[in-house]
Amino acid sequence: MLVTLSLPSSTSHEITLPLSTMPASVSPAASTIRPSTDTLIRLASSDHGIQLKALRDVKNQIIGNRTKKLVYIKLGAVPAVASVLADALDGSGHSSTDLLVQSAAALGSFACGVDAGVRAVLDSGALPSLIQLLSNHDEKVIGSAARSLKLLYQSKLAPKYDLSENGSVELLHSLLNSENENANGLAASIIAHSCKASAEQKAFCLNGILAKLIDLLGGSISQRDASLESLASIMKSNHEVASQFVKYERGQALNLLVNLTNERSTRTRLLACACLITLRNVSSTYLRGRGTETKLVRYLVELLEEPGQVGEEASFALSSFIEDDEHLQKLAFDANAIDVLCNHLQKDPLQPKRLEGILIALARMCSRLEFCRAKFLQMQAFNSVSEALHHDCADVRGAACICMRNVTRSVQNLSAGFFMNENIVIPLLELLHDPNPFIQLEALCAISNIVVNFRTSNSSFIRWGGLKQLVQLSVSMDPAIRSNSLCAIRNLTFEADNKCKAEVFKELTASSLASLMSDPDPSVQEQALAIARNLTGGSLESIQYAFAEGGIILDAVQRQLECASTVESGIQGIFVLSNVASGRDAHKDAVMDRLLHNMGSGSNPPYLLRFMQSNDSSLRTASLWLVVNLASPSCMGASRRIAKLRKAGVVSQLKIMVKDPCLDVKHRVTTILGQYLTFDDS
Amino acid sequence: MPVRVVDSSAPSQVSGGNSGSTCPQPCTLLSVGQAFSGTQNVSNVQKDEAWRVNVRIQGFDLDHGYLCGTMEALNVPMADTPVITFWEGEIVDTKNHTFFTGKWEATLEDDIRHWSKFPSFSPLQSQVEADGGKSLDLSNYPYIFMRWKELYFVNVGTDCGLTIAGFYYVCFSCSDGSINGFYYDPNSSPFQKLELKSTNEGRSGFSFSSYQLQ
Repeated sequence: MLVTLSLPSSTSHEITLPLSTMPASVSPAASTIRPSTDTLIRLASSDHGIQLKALRDVKNQIIGNRTKKLVYIKLGAVPAVASVLADALDGSGHSSTDLLVQSAAALGSFACGVDAGVRAVLDSGALPSLIQLLSNHDEKVIGSAARSLKLLYQSKLAPKYDLSENGSVELLHSLLNSENENANGLAASIIAHSCKASAEQKAFCLNGILAKLIDLLGGSISQRDASLESLASIMKSNHEVASQFVKYERGQALNLLVNLTNERSTRTRLLACACLITLRNVSSTYLRGRGTETKLVRYLVELLEEPGQVGEEASFALSSFIEDDEHLQKLAFDANAIDVLCNHLQKDPLQPKRLEGILIALARMCSRLEFCRAKFLQMQAFNSVSEALHHDCADVRGAACICMRNVTRSVQNLSAGFFMNENIVIPLLELLHDPNPFIQLEALCAISNIVVNFRTSNSSFIRWGGLKQLVQLSVSMDPAIRSNSLCAIRNLTFEADNKCKAEVFKELTASSLASLMSDPDPSVQEQALAIARNLTGGSLESIQYAFAEGGIILDAVQRQLECASTVESGIQGIFVLSNVASGRDAHKDAVMDRLLHNMGSGSNPPYLLRFMQSNDSSLRTASLWLVVNLASPSCMGASRRIAKLRKAGVVSQLKIMVKDPCLDVKHRVTTILGQYLTFDDS
Repeated sequence: MPVRVVDSSAPSQVSGGNSGSTCPQPCTLLSVGQAFSGTQNVSNVQKDEAWRVNVRIQGFDLDHGYLCGTMEALNVPMADTPVITFWEGEIVDTKNHTFFTGKWEATLEDDIRHWSKFPSFSPLQSQVEADGGKSLDLSNYPYIFMRWKELYFVNVGTDCGLTIAGFYYVCFSCSDGSINGFYYDPNSSPFQKLELKSTNEGRSGFSFSSYQLQ
């Protein structure tokens, strides 16, 4: 779920045009008219009055009604309406004007939010006609065409605006210069749609559009707003264009932009903030030293309080700004963002878009900083997040899951068992079957955090069917689902008691765990190995899991270590062996045998030596813990194992590692050499 | 038994530009899941008393100089059961936290007085007295200094007759995982000593578990 900064202007939805003066007749209510071929006949009539009425009937039925749109599209209404438009373009007079207005509006409605409608409008060849209307002398016609084209250009199916086409640059300039706010809004839509790639952004700059946009920052309100939207599109992720903007007239454009954050119009303020955020995302140096970041955060938090679309979009802008940046999250915290967001969250009812925005903003706030999570939980708004997990709107459910995921990173609250609660866990378990795969994954991540339960037992989670579900997901076709479900099982087994481990092992089974260690996906392998590590850690009797079913888990670990595709797999695998080697003599000897088997195979350097020589200090450290445990003098067979390790070249390698740059490695080497000296008689 | 290594070299001071981190390096013996056991000496004028103590690390975030865990006190006279508390720790890394506490009613003098009770602190003392140790390079120092503050009782009420108003000055040895600490609370007996060793739950060696937050 991406949070973008391109803000639709206020007319991005269908509107009903005022009725023109036509002969009054009693019109049946739109809802009682059924789509039928009769409509097509009437649209093709030579009587303009009948055509006009048919257009209005169609338009009034399809506004906001996706089902009726699709029915009319199937009937072939779009080409019929396009034909009316084309004919009316050739005509003149008052009736032609009405036909132009209504046919343009109907086409816009078909294209609004429905891909099939966009395709039908484009296929009917109506686009050039609509563009032609922008040069009409009648403002109503221009307005109708501009609104409809704006709806069209909001769809990813719309063609990119071709600046190389004759007259297209001039048209864009004229739209920007126009006093008609629909024309300005259309220009912004066209630029936003056509400025995705860096080359496209550059093309708009080269054609004087950047300079025109900067110029219009001082224009009328709608020109200014359209310019701000367009500037954000042109500069997005583009160093070259952003740099041109910042340097323009020695920083005058940037100063103007910063000043616009103080404008009376809340919409302008928001768009100016969004533009500055775009600049900062290109390079944080652009806003440095001005206190702009602090002000931006404060303005956005203030804008959160605005009603309507501005308040709604402010939360998305804030989220985008503070994402992954602790410094900005701290600034937002200091500006009381969490209080404002939580106060809104607890208002009832909230429009889905606003709710989604608030949840995403809270999620970003709680992503990294514990004091933010603590503040959020203190505000007692967490129940609202749990309730949002049940929302009808998928975007809201998804946002609630992201929020849950980030808040459940709080170790303090995990330790207190705060989240292991059926009002939180059961809805998340249900979302594992959500039709939206993104939601499934986010719910899984939240569950994965919650089951890190430390002191309290995980029996409730198991009783609610959580373990069963995780095990089922471990064989999903989707590697991300497999990996994350295994991560959840890994977390479930962290410091788990014997009862929990036994339940996990019984449900997952040794053969399945062994098989997952060789999964084609490296992150699945890593998590499977980490589960084995956790199962074999803790109490001494846990080591038995490694030897279950004839030792298939140990064999699988061995195979993975021999061909470890990632450092993390190596670390987890070595720690499994290390945990086993921390047991009794028999356990240590079983590990030793496997090491020697690998060392004797001769085809590749033995993995233990390879890992000890790794560039990764964590892998070197892990391999040394294996040696520490094998050489532990508290067991009778220590001297025998040390002799074998020496023969295998391990002791020589250790001596090289005495001056390892990693302190942890150095300490373990010292420990092992000390143990070795205890037994060395040379 | 692991061999104790005493490293007498003092940490270097950072001069001018700093090309690498000066913060303590990670140590597997001070990571999540690791357990320690020992005693806390709670002697007062009337008697000598020591409680058995078990500590477990639950969270560890070196970047933010943060760790947390539980502390379990056994054979507490006023309690029928072991008393468990949850604590959060600050790692003295000169970036997030310095040797100066700056809160919990601990003055600079209290800080120096307590830190200097750790032999491993003496090479650092002069620099700490000068600037809290901000310019020290602790990245190769074999000890990690921390403050641990208990936040709440996990299994008993606040009326259990015990206090968690103070905090511990803590020194961890990276070589063998031993922990020493001194409890500071202006309203309690001074310098109650915490002495812990890394435990391995009956194993002949060390085992390690892990979790991964998403």
